[in-house]
Amino acid sequence: MTSEFGSWLKSWLFTTNHKKVGILYFFTSCYFGFIGAILALLMRTQLSVPNNDFLTTNFYNQAVTMHGIIMIFWFLSPLAIGLANYFVPLQIGAEDLAFPRLNALSYWLYLAGGILEIISFFVPGGSANGGWTTYAPLATNQFSPGSGPTLVFLGWILLTVSITLGSVNFVTTVLWMRAEGVTISKIPMFTWFIFFTIVAMLFSFPSLIAALVLLSSDRILGTVFFSLTSIQPSILWDNLFWFFGHPEVYIVLLPAFGVIAEVLPVFSGRPLAGKNVILVSTAVIVLPLSFGVWMHHMFVTGIPDSLLNVFSISTIAISLPFDLITLAFIETLIHGNIKYEAPMLFALGGIVLFVIGGITGVFLSSPVLDRVFRGTYFVVAHFHYVMVGAAIFGLIAGIYYWLPRITGRMYNKRLATWHFIISFIGFNVLYFPMNFLTDMPRRVFTYQAFGYWPLANEIASVGAFIFALAQIALAYQVLHTWFRGPPAPPNPWGAATLEWPKVSTPAFEGNLNPQGWIGQLEQKVELPHEVTHDHLSSRPLILTVGVFFALLGLPYYSSPYGIASIVFGFLVLAYSGLTWALDDIKEKFNIVDNDKGERWPFNTVSKLKVGMWTFLASEIIFFGTFIGAYLYIRAASPSWPAVGSFHSLTIGVVNTLILVTSGFTMALALESIREGKQRNLLAFLAMTFLLGATFMGIKVSEWLDLSSKGFVIWSGNSMISLAASTYYLLVGLHGAHVTAGLLVLVYLMKKTLNGQYTENEHRGIENFALYWAFVDIVWCFLFPLFYLM
Amino acid sequence: MVFASIVETYIAAFTRGNGNGVLAISLLALSQATAVLLFYMQLKYEPNSIKAFSILALMFLVALFAASIATLA
Repeated sequence: MTSEFGSWLKSWLFTTNHKKVGILYFFTSCYFGFIGAILALLMRTQLSVPNNDFLTTNFYNQAVTMHGIIMIFWFLSPLAIGLANYFVPLQIGAEDLAFPRLNALSYWLYLAGGILEIISFFVPGGSANGGWTTYAPLATNQFSPGSGPTLVFLGWILLTVSITLGSVNFVTTVLWMRAEGVTISKIPMFTWFIFFTIVAMLFSFPSLIAALVLLSSDRILGTVFFSLTSIQPSILWDNLFWFFGHPEVYIVLLPAFGVIAEVLPVFSGRPLAGKNVILVSTAVIVLPLSFGVWMHHMFVTGIPDSLLNVFSISTIAISLPFDLITLAFIETLIHGNIKYEAPMLFALGGIVLFVIGGITGVFLSSPVLDRVFRGTYFVVAHFHYVMVGAAIFGLIAGIYYWLPRITGRMYNKRLATWHFIISFIGFNVLYFPMNFLTDMPRRVFTYQAFGYWPLANEIASVGAFIFALAQIALAYQVLHTWFRGPPAPPNPWGAATLEWPKVSTPAFEGNLNPQGWIGQLEQKVELPHEVTHDHLSSRPLILTVGVFFALLGLPYYSSPYGIASIVFGFLVLAYSGLTWALDDIKEKFNIVDNDKGERWPFNTVSKLKVGMWTFLASEIIFFGTFIGAYLYIRAASPSWPAVGSFHSLTIGVVNTLILVTSGFTMALALESIREGKQRNLLAFLAMTFLLGATFMGIKVSEWLDLSSKGFVIWSGNSMISLAASTYYLLVGLHGAHVTAGLLVLVYLMKKTLNGQYTENEHRGIENFALYWAFVDIVWCFLFPLFYLM
Repeated sequence: MVFASIVETYIAAFTRGNGNGVLAISLLALSQATAVLLFYMQLKYEPNSIKAFSILALMFLVALFAASIATLA
């Protein structure tokens, strides 16, 4: 029994299988959703009557802040990622995600980040309390002291890293892992919307990581990116945060739309209307424009009028494709043979709530109206209608739709209907009154008995409890169905996408168009969905343990416990990195790629290269954000140290030439192995390593020299502190990339010595050459910025 | 690459941070980065789909740079 339990536990802790990782994401996100809901209920209890003292001011602020952060980052997106993990590979006929161990690592990093968020409540001073937007300088040590907020930001960085890794994985999977027959036009809608979501994540999250690294650096290392308000304005954080923050709305919303687009045709018995219009408008308008509307969150920060106009127009413009999508959904329902099963009810509920949230959002695109509504409960109602109403109802539709596929059992349909009815009523009782609280400021801990504020808040609080209690039915449904539910038919809805077994008779007769895309898909594609890999690997979990302890100790680096935690974390990290590399060298974890899949437009590109270019795209945004922040600070600062006053031009030039030469030797290494010359490969790799190590050695000695000259972040001179902050962090991050590259070079040299690279198989070398060249590119900008300008 | 780095240094020494010098150095840095992208990373020989990754990222980055700096106006 014990060994059985051990095997069972191991099968979950070490799994890299997409279905199991999906289930882990699902239950973990539900757990964090529960925590976020408890915080919301505490807030609503506090606000239920005027002048209430149920919560302290500080705890109320923590509850507001952490409710937002946990619900958006640890509940909504991960719930969608859980469904995507399970069903995207099935829908496209892939055997697993492109990089299974990376997928497991994404999950564990997500969990570790979440644990840091929870721990932050229990440290002296409590958790972050400056709002989920963590505006700086409000979030700096000066205004938010204590280690709790620091842990929150470090956990958040872990989550963003997890999401970036996941983005690389999903992009590569959808582009490169499709089964034969699953051409671009046959990709199911849920997978399409997950793909759009992931692309938005790929380009938006790096700017959040950069912003959080800057903020954490201020809190832990004492840099002054956000704390010197006398020199540079605090609007820098707003730009970096909202450049990520607005795409995040679509990141939360689009997976739910993907579910709705799957559910509507199945339960109305006809193909989705305007499928191509939906896809094109999302890809061409929603995705690019989502990165061009962020300043509508900053209308009242005093930005120039020209920007107000541009971002007002772009915000109105982005609502147009959503009008098209909503109309397409409605058109699908017209003349449909609608079956009001639970997935359909929640999908319809999601559409209705999205329309309400969408309309109130258009008001906020007007700078004039925004001045009135900004910071009031009208905004709270707007974004909850979109991000809770549309997103949650859509995702619950997905849970009911796919629960029989996951468990093989059917849920209680009557209870599911009641779950919808009570949820819909509870949600509207909770949020609709807030639409009228256009004069009540949000984030206030209590309020006076003014006008209809008490009544509206009392009603909203009652709604909150109704809505929360209704979700007990969902928990019961999932658990009861999982263990005790009656067996479900193999394809209870008669769906035609690949995750379901093929059925000969559609569940709903008459309206399925045999010439439509559903019919075509059934005719041409076989179902390989029962073939799945179930590799086990302990490396992702162990690596995460190392990262977790290293970050846990960081806020306490001046205490012995903090140092012990950091040292332990790095030792575990080194062990897991080494064993991961050894696994690869010994080829213990091999994924056999299907060589017949659909890969257009990447037919001639390897899977690893697609993954590497996807990763580099996120790196471009990551470093670009830092460089952008540097330029912003330089432009905003009244003065800056003169060129040559601290940095030695000679050292800068010599180091640049060394790094440029290492790029050249790496290019020669790649050419060598393309010609099958392994000895030359080894020689050029060794030269690249030596040049890279020399670069880092000179860099360290330069840092020591600069410190001795007084070029330090704790300098008494604000201008020098700011210049030193930008220099040490940007060059340090570049140095960390060079150091990581040096470690990979050791691994590549070992594989070369083993004869594992040949003329025909040298993808590892090819992809590392891309990485190393990218590191060169970054230095091409850092050198002139810090040494010449 | 080496030549461009040395020219950048000379420009910096002679112009001492004036606008033309900054512009020239920025253009040289851009040309260096482009050369690495096209030849070391062999983007020149890759299909358009691969080029799209970097173009999309650069497009979003330019939007972030331009609008953020514009807020200082």
